[in-house]
Amino acid sequence: MTARRLDKGGRIDRTRPVNFRWDGLTYRGYAGDTLASALMASGQTVLGRSFKYHRPRGIMSAGVEESGAIVSVGADARHEPNVKATMQELYDGLEAKGQNAWPNVRFDLGAVNGLFGRFFSAGFYYKTFMGLPPFEWGRGTGLWMQYEKLIRKAAGMGRASRAPDPDCYDHAHAFCDILVVGSGPAGLNAALTAAEAGRDVMLVEQDFELGGDYLNDPAAEADRAALVAAVERAGIRILTRTTAFGLYDGGVAGLVERVTDHLAAPDPHLPRQRFWTVRAGATVLATGALERSIAFANNDRPGVMTALAARSYLNRFGILPGQRIVIATTNDSAYGVAGDFAAAGAEVVLADARSDAASAPEGVSLRPGLAPLAVLGRRGVEGVRLAARSGAGWSEAAREDCDLLLVSGGWSPVVNLSSHRGAKPVWNAGLACFLAGPTEEPIHMAGSTDGVWNRDDCAASGVAAARRAMGEVAEAPAPGGWAHPIQPVYEVRLPGSKVKAFVDPQHDVTGDDVRLAHQEGFVSVEHLKRYTTLGMATDQGKMGNVIGLALMAEALGCEVPAVGTTRFRPPYTPVAIGALAGRNVAGHFKPLRRTPLHDWNLRHGATMTEAGLWQRTWYFARTRETIAEAYIREATTVRETVGICDVSSLGKIAVQGPDAAEFLNRVYTNAFSRLPVGRARYGIMLRDDGIVMDDGTTWRLGEADFLMTTTTTNAGKVMVWLEELLQTRWPDLRVHVTSVTDRWAGVSVAGPKAREAIAVCLDEGIDISNDALPFMGVAPVSLKGGVKGLIARISFSGELAYELYVPADQGEAMMDLLWPAAERLGGCLYGLEALGALRIEKGHVTGAELDGRMTIDDAGLGKMASTKKAFIGAALRQRPDLTRADRPRLVGIFPKDRRQSFNGGALLCATGKVAGFGDGWITAVTHSPALGHWIGLGYIAGGHEAWAGKAVTAADPVRRGNVEVEIVSPHMFDPEGVRMHG
Amino acid sequence: MADGISAVKSHLAPGRTGPSGAAGVRIAEIRPLTLVQFAAWPDTLAETGAEAAKAAGAKAAPGPGRAVTGTHGVLLRVEPLKWWLVGDTGEAPLPDAGSGAVLDLSQSRTRLNVSGKLAARLLNHVLPIDLSDNAFPENSVASTAFHHVGVTLWRDGEGFTVFLPRSFAASLCEILTESAAQYGLEIA
Repeated sequence: MTARRLDKGGRIDRTRPVNFRWDGLTYRGYAGDTLASALMASGQTVLGRSFKYHRPRGIMSAGVEESGAIVSVGADARHEPNVKATMQELYDGLEAKGQNAWPNVRFDLGAVNGLFGRFFSAGFYYKTFMGLPPFEWGRGTGLWMQYEKLIRKAAGMGRASRAPDPDCYDHAHAFCDILVVGSGPAGLNAALTAAEAGRDVMLVEQDFELGGDYLNDPAAEADRAALVAAVERAGIRILTRTTAFGLYDGGVAGLVERVTDHLAAPDPHLPRQRFWTVRAGATVLATGALERSIAFANNDRPGVMTALAARSYLNRFGILPGQRIVIATTNDSAYGVAGDFAAAGAEVVLADARSDAASAPEGVSLRPGLAPLAVLGRRGVEGVRLAARSGAGWSEAAREDCDLLLVSGGWSPVVNLSSHRGAKPVWNAGLACFLAGPTEEPIHMAGSTDGVWNRDDCAASGVAAARRAMGEVAEAPAPGGWAHPIQPVYEVRLPGSKVKAFVDPQHDVTGDDVRLAHQEGFVSVEHLKRYTTLGMATDQGKMGNVIGLALMAEALGCEVPAVGTTRFRPPYTPVAIGALAGRNVAGHFKPLRRTPLHDWNLRHGATMTEAGLWQRTWYFARTRETIAEAYIREATTVRETVGICDVSSLGKIAVQGPDAAEFLNRVYTNAFSRLPVGRARYGIMLRDDGIVMDDGTTWRLGEADFLMTTTTTNAGKVMVWLEELLQTRWPDLRVHVTSVTDRWAGVSVAGPKAREAIAVCLDEGIDISNDALPFMGVAPVSLKGGVKGLIARISFSGELAYELYVPADQGEAMMDLLWPAAERLGGCLYGLEALGALRIEKGHVTGAELDGRMTIDDAGLGKMASTKKAFIGAALRQRPDLTRADRPRLVGIFPKDRRQSFNGGALLCATGKVAGFGDGWITAVTHSPALGHWIGLGYIAGGHEAWAGKAVTAADPVRRGNVEVEIVSPHMFDPEGVRMHG
Repeated sequence: MADGISAVKSHLAPGRTGPSGAAGVRIAEIRPLTLVQFAAWPDTLAETGAEAAKAAGAKAAPGPGRAVTGTHGVLLRVEPLKWWLVGDTGEAPLPDAGSGAVLDLSQSRTRLNVSGKLAARLLNHVLPIDLSDNAFPENSVASTAFHHVGVTLWRDGEGFTVFLPRSFAASLCEILTESAAQYGLEIA
């Protein structure tokens, strides 16, 4: 191939040179070039190495189907492999490299693989290395695991950067009446027709210019320019550099817009790419058709490309890709290409597989009845051997010297997007291609996507598709349009010859591989695909699928439709993971919840931890304190004086209405109907199956007004559950539930001096003495400075404790009152770790114990299940397996040697019988400041009474081994609750 | 009583970010927020609606997906059986329960006003609903989702007012302002 840039012609801007680097050297192209066209004009022919055999590859196309010029673009963290050079717009400073080659694509030592080609046939590694005889007979795949590493290293595509992606990506939603995909003659006319009829239209084009096939024909420029101007005037939303990669339910289309991939120095505020979710009333697919190659020997040599691609390089990019050109065709479409090249001064031979073809364009030497048999030349095209039909096969008939071989083996309409919606492509034997199958959805095919080959017919097809999309009846031009029918040719070879004729060049799948698959019993297209990897490369079979199917049909002795076709699935072209993630990365991977006291806590030395989506205080370390020292100090302070803990994240649900008490009575296991106003009650709710769902206190604020609290992590689940109950089971109940979690800032003030600390913060005359506010009492409260809220005497720590709630914005004002008061009393701030220690000492359960497997009896709370009323889970909790006496029961755990500690998650086994799952497990451990040694909570069959005096081992084989423990009551500290009632 | 602390104050420092030229988007927090929910029973819809309208100082309560502005605040129909009365005073005396249920939700949301020529485009980065003038004209209301979090949207005369659950507000505000920078963002 001896390509050169022409002095004039094309759509490039010769006044705007663009410098770029290829494999470390600087080259020059022009604005309007792709990386492929600029490399071609710079005389670069070998741009890639093939997947398996490391064969030299050059430019094969001018579009998304490219299988040769696959390169890596960018450097360092922005290094992106497997970029199709044909789709990469050129910009100043673009840095590109060859891939899958060493030392470079022009001289690649990996090419030695080609010599062993016969070992690398379809499925070679299954046959060769798995259970490698005689070493691994009957012993599995141990050696394979080693070989696999080497094989993967030798094969494959480019390598991705391991650095974090430095770019940002956007998500966006859009709505329109009609979405038009593709801006060729059909797409532009469809968009314009719909917009002129008053529809809201979006037009999407993957190229950086509108026009599709118009761009390849200078004679059509006036038509294109007029249409584009009309489309812009019509107010159509136009997205260029945007690929519609998938169609989904309900008119949803997924698009990726490449916002800055073509810019040398993009505005840092712009996202690199934008992922669009478009909801369209109707969709017009004017996605065009891809030209196919033919399988013949060495059809992958640099200098072999599709006819349309060459026309694009000539007419769009102003490059004459070769001087002596052979064009091999099976249809009429290459005749125009031949004419263009002859007019551009090239020597053109047109070999038409048909013997009764049309007359040759001026200056073109026509060779009817000939098809390409083999390419001559090792690193480029030096000539081509041509074959003529001979009986059922072929025989060599001619030889032509040339430096460029163009092939048109037929056309494959891009039916991918309609296939995404389950419309099975239908084989059209007359046109030798698949057309979109019927669909009930408002998806309309236009132009060559519908097998319409002539430009004027495509325009009419676009108009008709738009009218159908608007609900009108419109007749479209029938598929076809060639003066002489296509003569399908999928492979040309001499009987018995052993050559490499590629079907899917990107995955190095040859015609022989397809026949081998057949020979080994693979007849289904799905199996063929997986066995040979045909169509599984980054082009997803755009180049090779039809040829592969045709060869399989031939091997099976049937027609193409009998072999079937695989279903196309999104994405049409690869989508960057970053685009899928959008801005939902790092700290925004999940939405983050902060309590109203978040900043206050941080200012006062909090270390935070995650609890569900919440950021909660973990501990408040003083200078040089470790976490263990901090939580032990905090828990000790709570037991001795007073501590303050942010509990704003607890779920809070307003339950309102005249039937609210009845509703709670049904939801909780214990009775709520007679709970007095101004009192709180601890409640447990079960699932339908009798297993504990959640627990918390519910406060009666008025006759028809309750405030339910839930655990932090179950708040959402409980809210959804309550709404479901009200909407589906008991719509007759007059109850509304509303989340009020975010309305309040809440703290727990716990410890013997809690009352004292709070009292000084309250307005004059507010009494929180034991008489005025007894255990489980609730009252409105007014803090100094006018902040109004609620106070409840509730204890999770087992100490005298209160929860104080004020409106969220006033949370810091509350803390600025409470904290100095507590500090004066020698109090502290405490976090989840100390809270955990305090509740474990008391045997209070949390999510670790209520893990979705345990019954209320298992948790030792069976007395809370009413026998006098119905409640959710009441029936199924009586199932025999849930009432067995030997079910695991909540217990406390002490290390036998009090100096030892043990781990959460350890299994509890009878000493000497450490086996299997044991008799129980440990859910939580802590150092107990009150008891002075490590303690734990857990479950063991039969409960602590059954294990009194028995030796138990906490078995922890994968961590630090076994510890001898004692099983005790879960109420390890102040079992009578004297402290919290005081 | 003091106004208290905004959930997004440290995330909305006044100023201008993004490319030079006119700001495409302006974001401002409006606080304090008074928010009272009126919830009706299926058979008291008209009655509760009238009570809500009276509290808002409006002639009639708005239908689903709509808002009306009265002399005491704006009334949004946020659910089939629920209205929100939105005011600017922070805490206010709660009206009587009347025929339905009344609930004080003040400060449970962070109220952002998003305005400017590209306000709808910005919001469509995060909200999956059609915000075009035809589909979502002035005084439209929607309960929708922003990064999996339920939010309420009202198109007022000057742009959009979005109510973010207070605990999520800082996190969601970061996504919104980062997305807005590309259009030129002015924070008031």
